[in-house]
Amino acid sequence: MYPQVLFQHRKPDRINTFAEYREQGGYSALSDVIAGADPAAVIATIDDAQLLGRGGAGFPAGRKLMTVAQDAPHPRYLICNADEMEPGTFKDRVLLHADPHLLIEGMAIVAYTVRARHGIIFIRPEYENAARILEREIRLAREAGFLGEKIHDSDFSFEIVVHRSGGRYICGEVTALISALEGCRPNPRKAPPYPTDKGLWQQPTVLNNVETLAYVPLIVRHGAQWFRDLALTESAAGTKLFSISGHVNKPGCYEVPLGVPLSEMIENCCGGMRDGRPFKGCLPGGASTGFLSAEHYHIPMDYESLKAVGNRLGTGAVMVFDDTTCMVAATLNLTNFFARESCGWCTPCREGFPYLKDLLYRLENGMADGDWIGQVETLCGHLYKAYCAFAPGGVAPIESLLANFGEEVQAHIDLGGCPMQRQ
Amino acid sequence: MPTLTIDNRPVTVPDGTKVITAAEQLGIMIPRFCYHPALGSVGACRVCAVGFKEGPIKGVEMSCMVDAQEGMVVATDDPDAVDLRKHVIELLMLHHPHDCPVCDEGGHCLLQDMTISGGHGRRRYAGAKRTHLDQDLGPLVQHEMNRCIQCYRCSRFYQQFCGYRDLGVTGIGTRVYFGRSEPGTLESPFSGNLTDICPTGVYTDKPSRFYGRRWDYERAPSVCIHCSLGCSLTVSARYRKAVRHEARFNAQVNGHFICDRGRYAYAYASQPERPRDALIAGRPATLAQAATQMSERLAAIEKGTGPDGIALMGSARSSLETQALLARLHSEKGWRTPCFSADDAATRVVSSALNTLNATNTIALTEIEGADTVLLVGADPIGEAPMLALALRQAQRDGSRIITVDPRPVTLPCAHDHIAVSGDDLATAVAHLIIGALEPSREIALDADQQDRFKTLKQETRDIPAAAELRAIGHALTTAWRPAFVCGTTVPDPDVPPLMGLLQALVQTSCMWSGLFFPLPGANTFGAHCLGGSDALFEPLLAAVEAGQVKALVVVENDLFSEYPDQQRLAAALESLELLVVMDCVPSAITARADIFLPTQTIYEAGGHYLNNEGRLQVATPVIAGGLSIMDTGGGNHPPREFREDIPGGTPRPAWQYVAGLATGETDPPDVKPLLDEALTAGVADGERVSLPSASREWPSIERIGAGPEGDAGGLTLIESAATFGSEPLAAFSTVLAELTPLFGVTVHSETAQRLGWRAGDRIVIPDSAPALEVVVTLDDRAAPGVLLVPRRIGIDRTALRRYMAHLLAE
Amino acid sequence: MLRPRGAFFERTIEPLELHVSEALIEKLKNEIAAVEHPRELAVDVMMALQDHHGYLSDAARDQAAELLGMSALEVDELATFYTFIFREPVGRYVIHVCDSLICWMAGEENIVDHLRQQLQIDFGQTTADGLFTLLPVCCIGYCDRAPAILVNRRVHGPLTNSRLDELLQKYRAEAAEKPGSNV
Ligand SMILES: Cc1cc2nc3c(=O)[nH]c(=O)nc-3n(C[C@H](O)[C@H](O)[C@H](O)COP(=O)(O)O)c2cc1C
Ligand code: SF4
Ligand code: FES
Repeated sequence: MYPQVLFQHRKPDRINTFAEYREQGGYSALSDVIAGADPAAVIATIDDAQLLGRGGAGFPAGRKLMTVAQDAPHPRYLICNADEMEPGTFKDRVLLHADPHLLIEGMAIVAYTVRARHGIIFIRPEYENAARILEREIRLAREAGFLGEKIHDSDFSFEIVVHRSGGRYICGEVTALISALEGCRPNPRKAPPYPTDKGLWQQPTVLNNVETLAYVPLIVRHGAQWFRDLALTESAAGTKLFSISGHVNKPGCYEVPLGVPLSEMIENCCGGMRDGRPFKGCLPGGASTGFLSAEHYHIPMDYESLKAVGNRLGTGAVMVFDDTTCMVAATLNLTNFFARESCGWCTPCREGFPYLKDLLYRLENGMADGDWIGQVETLCGHLYKAYCAFAPGGVAPIESLLANFGEEVQAHIDLGGCPMQRQ
Repeated sequence: MPTLTIDNRPVTVPDGTKVITAAEQLGIMIPRFCYHPALGSVGACRVCAVGFKEGPIKGVEMSCMVDAQEGMVVATDDPDAVDLRKHVIELLMLHHPHDCPVCDEGGHCLLQDMTISGGHGRRRYAGAKRTHLDQDLGPLVQHEMNRCIQCYRCSRFYQQFCGYRDLGVTGIGTRVYFGRSEPGTLESPFSGNLTDICPTGVYTDKPSRFYGRRWDYERAPSVCIHCSLGCSLTVSARYRKAVRHEARFNAQVNGHFICDRGRYAYAYASQPERPRDALIAGRPATLAQAATQMSERLAAIEKGTGPDGIALMGSARSSLETQALLARLHSEKGWRTPCFSADDAATRVVSSALNTLNATNTIALTEIEGADTVLLVGADPIGEAPMLALALRQAQRDGSRIITVDPRPVTLPCAHDHIAVSGDDLATAVAHLIIGALEPSREIALDADQQDRFKTLKQETRDIPAAAELRAIGHALTTAWRPAFVCGTTVPDPDVPPLMGLLQALVQTSCMWSGLFFPLPGANTFGAHCLGGSDALFEPLLAAVEAGQVKALVVVENDLFSEYPDQQRLAAALESLELLVVMDCVPSAITARADIFLPTQTIYEAGGHYLNNEGRLQVATPVIAGGLSIMDTGGGNHPPREFREDIPGGTPRPAWQYVAGLATGETDPPDVKPLLDEALTAGVADGERVSLPSASREWPSIERIGAGPEGDAGGLTLIESAATFGSEPLAAFSTVLAELTPLFGVTVHSETAQRLGWRAGDRIVIPDSAPALEVVVTLDDRAAPGVLLVPRRIGIDRTALRRYMAHLLAE
Repeated sequence: MLRPRGAFFERTIEPLELHVSEALIEKLKNEIAAVEHPRELAVDVMMALQDHHGYLSDAARDQAAELLGMSALEVDELATFYTFIFREPVGRYVIHVCDSLICWMAGEENIVDHLRQQLQIDFGQTTADGLFTLLPVCCIGYCDRAPAILVNRRVHGPLTNSRLDELLQKYRAEAAEKPGSNV
């Protein structure tokens, strides 16, 4: 239905094998690059493709590579972020089970562009299956000479190891992830210095999401223009993996060109709303984006369009709600997540989320009193002054609850409890 | 040097200064919890928010995280920043137990201050509070985790700053917990600083718990006299009892911190056994009676024997006032030159060390933090001068290389290279360092004479096992930019310090900065050296007593028995005296033998001047008047129902006053300042260094090094050296520190143990010891083979110990 | 909404003292020796010892510390941070019920109620027979299979009550068949 790029060779029940991947032209991009491509030219292609980071922040992948200074010290590291703990997000898992060699080849190419010697895939412990697949496939790639010492007799050497996390959402944040890899408590660190300057073990480090890295071999193979043209809207480039869950008939992970309207995605990919109930709202990009309401049902799903309505594409985890959902209760659930996962480093986040959780609990259970909305608004405002991006992410649902579902909130206050439970 | 404007006032600061520090220079104290000048900025608490109005950064940001930049306009009263600060404090108070009435921090609590000044006063949060269990952290520090505001200062201080690894942060989110894995005594000898550094009452001072509020205390600036570094303290006292030492900031000496020995050493001053009355022949007398009798009997003896028949004994723990007046007494009366230590070996090293210091090569403790290489020879910082270890840690964190050359297995809270060299070989070791520094072909202009001497040195320096390594280090020293040289003064022999001086002088020519640092045996050893002269040795004095030439001995604040090893000989000699006068503030083996005893005041009552190991003059201000604590005299009642003119137990006078009385025949206190000026420090002000001779590039005599004793391969040597706890005579009275003092033990290399048939954990009962002494054997292969290492311990039978060890050595 | 939670990690069973095999220690030592920075293996080492002991007991923590050249406290600083390292005894099967948004919308509360009823335990507790421990967990990345749970980090979903019963049955049978360890 939509052009499939990352999922082109996705099978229902197994991975695209190494042999199959090679037959499909896999590793040719790496071979070409290693044969003597100018790293700067490869980076320029990635930049030209306007590939934005798929891990949530949407930072241009090419620009990140450019920040690694020519004369930066060695060894340099490339980290693949497969932590994927943003609630609602499971695209990396599906991709790793579909076509792991896209990632392995992508990592090798990116490593080549910045002359990284060591690659690390940081993966959440729930994905033990994927971790084992990766370890096996990495071994195959190494045996075939695509990884290891002096790849293809060039002077480029690159190894990948799989690092299992102990499991915490904050470990997905770049600097916290680096702390975790160093065997420290995974608290974030403040830039500067930026990881590309002083990252893992104080060495230059590039970190990208699984999906971001997986696009790289395809971009190198088919060119920047090809990639840009995949998107439907002018400003966007490429396809995107969307993890769609909630009140739809067929939840799952779908590859869709950027810019496809939300409604179309729900209708075409997911077989429409469950039980044919009306769309009430959704989170477009995981737990740390804001709620879209029914008026946004036809919004084109790309970075710019969501930005225009004060929202974010995030990880592309679309969590869909029908009219049976109490948005206050949903927000309470999300806030519980942020309260539980806050790393405990800075005051606003560590204390603010439990406080907000308590306030939302009170609202849902008819105990909201005083200036409830005012209290929530100030708290949310101050959470933007937390240490890392965790807290601003966590307030997005709460602020959008007030902005887009203000009536429902007011109904909770006026009724002294949840109107849905009363029905 | 950017110039910025904070609250409408311009300020120019060095590059890299944080806005929070720049504001301090204008006297503006931006609220902070996680930021601490010694620990740096981490931006965790978010309470230092200010508004950035103009310049490269706009909006509300944390002033501890932003470097001051040209053209910045900062408003600390920006409404958004004020609101954020207020709410951050509200958040910090969500789980706080509000137990200020029973919290020892109350009254000097940063959290209290910030809560009031931040404007948070009304509780809105109605949810449940998270609570924690507390841990028993040992005798020094009380733990109350519920008060925690998660500023992470404690774990950062404990682990990163100090280098100890048994206290930190566990858990996540709102359940983060600061403490140990399991309850238990903190391992760091700097743990007491937690009570200073915690901005609220999580860590409070345990021994002074529930004793008073900050405003109840009489407080005064003072100096720590429990090692030679002379860290700055603030003493708190109440009910005539000194109950707390806190670190007082001193940019040259101790920075923000002090060690636990210094912090918890004060108990001697109010121990029930403290002698507070004058005694004649062991019987109570009035001060006047004792003083009169002392003068009369001394006069009588002087008449019979001449002034030579009277000897004076001071100490390294007395104030300069007391030491100076002893010197004055000598010059006035012609009595024998005062001697300040009964440990002649140490006195010799100290003399040679202090003669090596000059106006240009002496460095201060905090300067060591800036060194890029530190060489320590015969110095064990944790035992001898604990804060030196913290300075080394800071240097090492900054990338400095630390090298220890020692017969002992020196341990430091930071990475360092250790070269085990037997005690007799230390001078030879430094000679090898010098050779390494001069070879190969360094462009140092040696004149003909020096070249000759260098040749002699090379020819005559004996080979020792570590020679090659030492030469390599010596060579590396010449490429250092900021090398510091530390040399102990108890373990090395007198040849070592001048050799270190030579090494420093040679290296000086090729680096930006370098200097010498000599920890000394006692708080005022520097003063004693200046006043006593290098020839005031104890052995001749003792011999004169034994020969009947000295008939009277005046001992001021010195328990000779803890310094002089042969207790029986000393006891017999003292027995033969016609008159033994003892003045002291603590009970000891010698106070019990005094014919006339005069009780002296402690530093808390008398104050005094002290010269630290680099010759820096520092003043301790008196904090209490003296006398028994009304906690004790009241028998539990307050105030005591007894009315009299004098203060019970208030008899003691400053030691110098008694000495002055002897010198001038007056009992009224003389003005000591002129005495001091005359004796040593003409014009030196508080906090400054005494004037040392100016530098001379003279090579010390090196002939002896080559000819130095050929350490006979199988020989054993006994080294008694200072330990963190239990070695310093005053701190040894502290019961809380006694709990931390390890079992008495001997440390040896495993080879040596094998030769002696010892195994780790063996307990050796020392024959004929009183009190009975048991020694536990510890093996440590970082010790030099052949060395038997025991800590100096006040109150143990050193004669029996030495006898036993000598018998081992002889076998 | 937020249901009351039991006291977390009550000690209901005595830990089974297992001796870590020489082979495992040797393997860990080799892995540590092969990397430049031993600390980067902290999580792996804790996990390996945990798999062996069932949880990271004090003894296992100390062993991890020794292997990694860390202090016990430093290991605890990490161990207590992560979701999947247990510093208290747990049952042979640790059931993590995902309670994040999608699973909650799909009936996580019913799952929990059913498990509570079947196992007669609350969150943070272990069944009397030492088989099951019940814990809540954040989104496990299987929202397409909501409601989902993890049993010993293996995912199961979408779940219904009858599917749950089957699962419990399966694990009970497995335990009866192979008493002892879960590794
Ligand atoms: C709290 C938090 C959690 C995050 N978790 C993840 C994650 O699990 N996976 C991921 O790829 N990025 C995550 N990110 C985003 C990363 O910080 C980072 O932006 C991204 O991995 C960079 O890769 P990209 O440029 O390819 O997107 C997280 C960010 C924050 C603030
Ligand atoms: S905002 Fe603060 S407490 Fe929250 S995750 Fe980031 S650093 Fe940790
Ligand atoms: S003092 Fe600046 S954030 Fe704590």
